Amino acid sequence: MENSPTVGPWIRVETVGGERKDTPAGHYPNLRMAFLPRLCMHCTHPPCIEVCPTEAIWKREDGLVLLDEGKCDGCQACVEACPYGAILYSPKTGLVEKCDLCCHRIDLGLEPFCVVCCEGQAIHFGDLDDPTSQVSKLIAAKGAFTLMPEAGTTPSIYYCPPREPRRL
Amino acid sequence: MTRDVETKVRTACPAHCGRDACGILAHVKGGQVVKVEPADFPDPKYRRICLRGLASPEITHHSERLRYPLRRVGKRGEGKFERISWNKALDTIAARFGDIADRYGWRGIGWVLGGPGSGTTKFGAYLRLASLTRSTRVSTWGYGDAALPCGSRILFGTNSPYELLTGWPDPELVIVWGSNPGETFPLARMRQLMDAKEKGSQVVVIDPRFTVTAAKADEYLGVRPGTDAALALGMMHVVFQKGLQDEDFIRRHTVGPFLVRTDNGAFLREKDVHPGGSSDYMVWDNFSSSARVASTSEVKPALTGSYRTNGIEVKPSFQLLIELAEAYPPEKAAEVTGIPAELIAKLAQKMALAQPVSIMIDMGFTRTYYGDLAMRAVGTLATVTGNIRSTPASGHRPVVLNWAPFLHADPSKPSFSRLGVLQLYDAVISGKPFPIKAVWFAFINFLNQCVNSNKIISEVFPSLEFIVVTDLFLTPTARYADIVLPVCSYLEFSDLITGPYPFLQLQQKVIEPLYESKSDVTIATELAQRLGLGDYFNMGEEGFVDRLLASGHPSVEGITVEKLKQGPALTHPPESAGSASEITFSTPSGKIEIYAEELHKFGQALPIYHEPLEAGAGAAGRNYPLTYIQGHSRFRTHSMFANTATLLELNPEPVIDIHPADAERRGISDGDLVTIFNDRGRVTLKAKVTEGIRPGVVNITEGWLFEQFREGGGNALTHDAVNPVQEAIFEPNMAMNDVAVEIVKAGE
Repeated sequence: MENSPTVGPWIRVETVGGERKDTPAGHYPNLRMAFLPRLCMHCTHPPCIEVCPTEAIWKREDGLVLLDEGKCDGCQACVEACPYGAILYSPKTGLVEKCDLCCHRIDLGLEPFCVVCCEGQAIHFGDLDDPTSQVSKLIAAKGAFTLMPEAGTTPSIYYCPPREPRRL
Repeated sequence: MTRDVETKVRTACPAHCGRDACGILAHVKGGQVVKVEPADFPDPKYRRICLRGLASPEITHHSERLRYPLRRVGKRGEGKFERISWNKALDTIAARFGDIADRYGWRGIGWVLGGPGSGTTKFGAYLRLASLTRSTRVSTWGYGDAALPCGSRILFGTNSPYELLTGWPDPELVIVWGSNPGETFPLARMRQLMDAKEKGSQVVVIDPRFTVTAAKADEYLGVRPGTDAALALGMMHVVFQKGLQDEDFIRRHTVGPFLVRTDNGAFLREKDVHPGGSSDYMVWDNFSSSARVASTSEVKPALTGSYRTNGIEVKPSFQLLIELAEAYPPEKAAEVTGIPAELIAKLAQKMALAQPVSIMIDMGFTRTYYGDLAMRAVGTLATVTGNIRSTPASGHRPVVLNWAPFLHADPSKPSFSRLGVLQLYDAVISGKPFPIKAVWFAFINFLNQCVNSNKIISEVFPSLEFIVVTDLFLTPTARYADIVLPVCSYLEFSDLITGPYPFLQLQQKVIEPLYESKSDVTIATELAQRLGLGDYFNMGEEGFVDRLLASGHPSVEGITVEKLKQGPALTHPPESAGSASEITFSTPSGKIEIYAEELHKFGQALPIYHEPLEAGAGAAGRNYPLTYIQGHSRFRTHSMFANTATLLELNPEPVIDIHPADAERRGISDGDLVTIFNDRGRVTLKAKVTEGIRPGVVNITEGWLFEQFREGGGNALTHDAVNPVQEAIFEPNMAMNDVAVEIVKAGE
């Protein structure tokens, strides 16, 4: 696996539909089901940075919110503070871990691994500050939304809603 | 330090997903494959991977991998083995095979070769051995796949109709029928489907389950398992009623205008009408009001009507199709399939009028007892609406490899005998059509995956004198072996990979075989030496690849192992089809056979609908009112990857999908332990109550291993009924989706 997480994947797919994974909402055969990958939102105003006592989390120039394991003392204040549940505590290491947007790949000009591997090619990566980038165009064209806007975090992850079904 | 240096090797994953073969870039560090990622192609759209491909290193480095050959010491099934050397193992096998051959002939030894996926020489090596020894090749088409080619051969003259039905660049409508590319073969089609949807195609999915793929549909049709032919006929009824059929296409490319004798169901031939005439087909010429030879120019063939010629009553075969579809108005089709009549009518109309329509089919609806008829009905519907895409090869694969040295290794002698895997049961138990007394299993977890597992344990295995299993793990099948041989994972040997079209790739050895594992080519070579056939196996893996490439066919000109080491090689496209009027099909008539006269004796000249064998309202239905199906999961490829830690983390245990109405009636809540059963066996596992499955249908995704259930296994419930028509056409198929069961809370 990319990134070698110790406590579970850093991107988790939630089913939007029934209560259990891979189950739809509605009544057979009028059903709806969608999938929402959840990961670190790389917020513009990260609550995790505000509460971290050791300054182990920092926001890079290009927007990535990164974790320095060397400074983490495993207090888990960030785990509490994150409204998205994006930070995981690892009993194995006694530290926390989270998605780093594959910065080791980005820094080499590659795309994050989830983008490369997504079967439906549903994930796109790019420069939000560039209005001509593919991601900017998709956000504008599809009316993309962010998660929990009321939390005031201004995430860097946008979701394009599924197209309305065109019934026969 | 050299151990810290990471190297990268480009290879390809053959998995079991046929033409999906993904390019793999393997990262090696300290002799271990530490990571894989999808490898590049000249065209980036081919760069992809799936959950299973990503988990490849976990298989290769699994702690439970078989490390050395084993010989059984306990009773079969106990799993008690002792370690032996390869010499001992292969000497034993050669001796036992020889002994059985003395008493039953070499035909009595069956090579049960499962799915090599896109791999070739690993499979070919065993075929070559089977051919030289003149033993029996047990084909595993019948392991769930055979009904589709049975139907497709009759209709289109090819095993593989996919490109005929799909692949239109900008379809207005895409119908996904019996296929779930979001989770299983053909996975690469999911991107095509999403691209089409993005560009504006309307997507309709037909499936008894609301799958991941169905979740992307604009319209979902929840069909009762085994009734797809009735759905197709219902749609044809609407098309004909509204006169929306593509008559030009039917006249030019099908047997529709050919006259059929109503007295004996055969096509009318010229000699029936003119003494001393030829065997040419005849049509009714509207200009001259007479029967004329079909290939005559300046005739206007009738597609409908009833005529008499030379005292014989005849009808165009298209007329017979119309009469068949008459019996399936939307209301009738709705009653049979469970899909609302209005929806059937709307889809039929849309399919006839939309330009073009892509139909993505796969095996889902053909794994029923009459699956070949379902294939023919769906294919006929596509045909009469003019939605068959002409291809240069009319469905046949354009890349031609040199299989002769593997299928018929010594042209001066006969080659292997052939049986289908579903026919193996009788051959072993009762010696019909001839006795099989020993089997060699490769690329298949037979006991876990094939039908009627209790029968295999109680009747098939005990009737076999000798069982050899080659595998990566001690599977349920391996536990019944007399000798178990440890094979290499794909990261440990080289092979030719036939895909993704239009590419060929080299599966290039990444690390040396671990432990004492050997590649299939090596195993076959070493066994061949003991059988006096060493001279036929003196070329090694790369030698076999070059031999396979040496077909002399323009499609593979200039492609060799050395070239493939540099990266995927583009095969050469065949010459263009020319105009659409030039399609020919490899059928007896050279046309699409919507009417197949050779099946008249079975009452199946037309693609009729039959109620499913068990999964219907018949006798079994009363004691066992639920229909059991086995969809395919994205977390496994059959039973491969069932023991992979990261995938089990995401998908920990088998569950049975059951609709809330069926669950409530039985006092079953979500998460309860339940037992499903019929006369053949029982399975106990947890229930998953979901709206995402048709009421009356229950599903356990196939491939979970016996030990992962509380009791039994997925195939304890399935039957081994042989469809004699499929047997006559090609090979009979295992009908995993045509099974009647009941379910209760466990312990009741």
